[in-house]
Amino acid sequence: MNLASLLSKDRITLSLKPGKKNKVIEDLVYTIKQGVDAELILSTLLKREELGSTGIGKAIAIPHCRSLAVDKLEIAVGRTTKPIKFNAIDKKPVSLIFLIIAPPQDPGNQYLITLGKIVQIAKELIKKKLIGKSQTPEEFITLIDQVEKGLKKGK
Amino acid sequence: MSTEIVEMHLKLLFDLDNLLNDMDEPTYKKIGFKVEEQEKQSLIKTRTDLLKKLPRETADIYERLRKRYQRAIAPVDNGFCFGCFQRLPTQLLARSEKIITCPNCGRILYWRKK
Ligand SMILES: [Zn+2]
Repeated sequence: MNLASLLSKDRITLSLKPGKKNKVIEDLVYTIKQGVDAELILSTLLKREELGSTGIGKAIAIPHCRSLAVDKLEIAVGRTTKPIKFNAIDKKPVSLIFLIIAPPQDPGNQYLITLGKIVQIAKELIKKKLIGKSQTPEEFITLIDQVEKGLKKGK
Repeated sequence: MSTEIVEMHLKLLFDLDNLLNDMDEPTYKKIGFKVEEQEKQSLIKTRTDLLKKLPRETADIYERLRKRYQRAIAPVDNGFCFGCFQRLPTQLLARSEKIITCPNCGRILYWRKK
């Protein structure tokens, strides 16, 4: 399964309003679920953040969890118009966020595989300085597709 | 305690247990996210507190199932229990007011709101 095919353009926000970490995560959750489902997801995501920030450094964060509130893997992407504090491992602010929510039962361990893949792709985006490149969600999906194909070829 | 509150506590507890389980998964560890041991202990305490908030009987059922299956709750999809993949008897399918377990595997059933 490739990552680009899991992305949907209505869940990619390239001009996300900057704000407190938790609020920005909440805004992204709301592109996936609303109401009590969103509350449950947010509560679990923030517990994950308590264990250690998912800011992997160099302006990228990848908040993630499983939740009973979803029945399939859901991904939202947000790029803030200004970098925000995220308590990332390199202490630097974050501007690109991949948010990933997986159902509890997950045949084939798609969640952890996809999570690992996002980390890999994120590192490529950093290395090739591509974080700020895309102007539209469509362009972003194409970019991810290209990066992913590049990684496969490199192997 | 109202059914809604019990259900919300159960969902929070279940999501938290899954989170804690994933932290120990070798595949997860390999990805390399930061996990602070001290914070993990504090979340383990949070799960104990959540468990205590549940009615005794519900908490006992949950714990017994967790020990047996790791995941105590199974979503219902298309009339199937997603824990054992058996079709549920139709009389169960109408959403009732209290906690329902799968007649086949015993897991607590959860109907997602559409
Ligand atoms: Zn069952």
